[in-house]
Amino acid sequence: MPAHLPRIKARLSIHAHRKVRGLLEGEYAALHVGRGIDFNDLREYVRGDDVKDIDWKASARSRQLLVKRYVAERKHTVLLCVSTGRSMAAMNDAAVSKRELAVLVAGVMGLLAVQHGDLVSLVHGDEAGRHAEPPKGGELHLERLLGTVHDAIRPDGAHTDLAALLRYVVRTVRRRTILVVVCDETTVPDETADLLRRLTVQHEVLLLTIGDLDPTQPTVADRRLVDVDSAAEVPGWLRHDRRLRRELATLVREEEQQLRRRLEQLGVVHERVHDTESALTAVFRLLERQRHARRR
Amino acid sequence: MDLTWNGGETGFRWPWLVPVLALLVLVLMAWWARSRDRRSSTGASYVAHAARLRALPRYQALVRRQVAIGTCLTVAALVACAGAIVLGARVQERQSLVREDRTRDIILCLDASGSMAEVDAAVLREFRTIVDGLRGERVGLTIWSGVAITIFPLTDDYEFVLEQLTEAESAFGSGGIYSDDYARYTAGTVIDWTVQSQLGDGLASCVQRFDNRDQERSRAIVLASDNEPIGEGIYDLEGAAELARSEDVVVHGIAAPMTADRPSAARLFRDAVTSTGGTFSLLGQDGSAATVVEAIGRLEAKEIERPPIVQVLDRPRLGTVVAAVGVGGLGVVWAVQGALALAARREDAS
Repeated sequence: MPAHLPRIKARLSIHAHRKVRGLLEGEYAALHVGRGIDFNDLREYVRGDDVKDIDWKASARSRQLLVKRYVAERKHTVLLCVSTGRSMAAMNDAAVSKRELAVLVAGVMGLLAVQHGDLVSLVHGDEAGRHAEPPKGGELHLERLLGTVHDAIRPDGAHTDLAALLRYVVRTVRRRTILVVVCDETTVPDETADLLRRLTVQHEVLLLTIGDLDPTQPTVADRRLVDVDSAAEVPGWLRHDRRLRRELATLVREEEQQLRRRLEQLGVVHERVHDTESALTAVFRLLERQRHARRR
Repeated sequence: MDLTWNGGETGFRWPWLVPVLALLVLVLMAWWARSRDRRSSTGASYVAHAARLRALPRYQALVRRQVAIGTCLTVAALVACAGAIVLGARVQERQSLVREDRTRDIILCLDASGSMAEVDAAVLREFRTIVDGLRGERVGLTIWSGVAITIFPLTDDYEFVLEQLTEAESAFGSGGIYSDDYARYTAGTVIDWTVQSQLGDGLASCVQRFDNRDQERSRAIVLASDNEPIGEGIYDLEGAAELARSEDVVVHGIAAPMTADRPSAARLFRDAVTSTGGTFSLLGQDGSAATVVEAIGRLEAKEIERPPIVQVLDRPRLGTVVAAVGVGGLGVVWAVQGALALAARREDAS
């Protein structure tokens, strides 16, 4: 079993220098509305921390910005909700495995939560069945969750069904969580929209979508492509057609715009993840947008 | 002699090669289809939500085009294969040269003595109708009394034969035995008036009229006589019949009606003729000329059998044409495909 967490950590240290990591931490901390009142300690300010938390007196004394850390009222729960249908076993629009990306973004969110001392739980599933892991803290637990996600995504698995997964969350999760949905939806059907609307009432919903590979892309022209949904090959002879490429690009662009607009209407913060390099930025933007959305 | 090859049956040299090759093509097709089916997931990259791609109108158009091109290619390839199979199995035509029996010689051997004139005329008349139906047989006419003279030797120039027969018929038939025609025609058949109507000599002379004795021919003589010899000849009837037998000549005898008055002569005649394997008929006894016709008809039926000459010719044209059509079709489809690709590129460039 490959160790997912060390790799994510390594990626964090490679691609995001210390400052950005602190930034992420700050953004994550700001997610929690209900902060406790019991003062814990002070720590250095990092960008992203709520300005309200700055202890101005202590800062003046120590000549550096310090923020107050409170003992959280109660431990928060980050609920990773990963769609693990077979479409997640495909490649994304940057020819990166969607599975790796899903594990990466889930791992980044989970790591932030774990380092913050919060609990992480997992819900994943497809058309055939949904599975839940109980909320727990600790990197070992997170590692296990990531392994579960990684193993659940198989090209011969069941088809993707996000609505069923969200319905499962609605039905089973009682506590308030930070709900991180990782999926590869291209559209938001009415049922999913209703469920999301319902979930935003209870949870802080963060939606991360992963794009799909464009089969007509010239970079994959010499590769054999198999449609993971129908297990049929996407024939090579039509992937060179430029008109088809233009039509598909237009369609994908329109779908993405519609998706964004729809999610905006629903008040769900959404970010699209393209590759491992931009995944961290995407997570950061997601957190930031969530904060701004709440402040509004 | 004109040679006509009868176009016989056309067939394959190796007929078993056709199903074998057809089976081979089928097996290869099945294997190819299977191998295409099987190489699904290994080494391939997965792509999701490809249904969006399939829903595009351009995709549909491309698929329709590809299906059309693929169908044309398949048909052309199969046609080419069929042509190759036909070529491989070697279409051959078996031609046989049935050699019509042109080796039959018939000599009309007529007794020119006065008493036989009418009978001769009747025989000639009947024979004339038969000449029309002859193909390739050679016919000769010899008349005799004391001495045999050849009116015309064996020939297959039927125009000439008919002409001669008509002339002979009119000579015998028209004016009777006292006419000038008759006398002129039969001049030379009697040298010595004491030696006339020598059946044995006449027959022997006729037997000697056959030429090409080294060739295998069926030889027949239509001998008309009343067997009423005057004087002494060289051959008696027995001897002449034996000569005919030794030369394998079939003699068909036609006796004049009055021969019946002399039973011993008639019997002698009959025995001599039948000993050569021929027929004997007494003219006037039973419908006269019909017997002659019948006798000659029998004579005609007795053709000698010769094995037909068989030649086997390759007929590669069918296979070549079919294969060429198939290969040409492939070329055309490829050209169309190339033109489409070129047009697409040009459209992109513009």
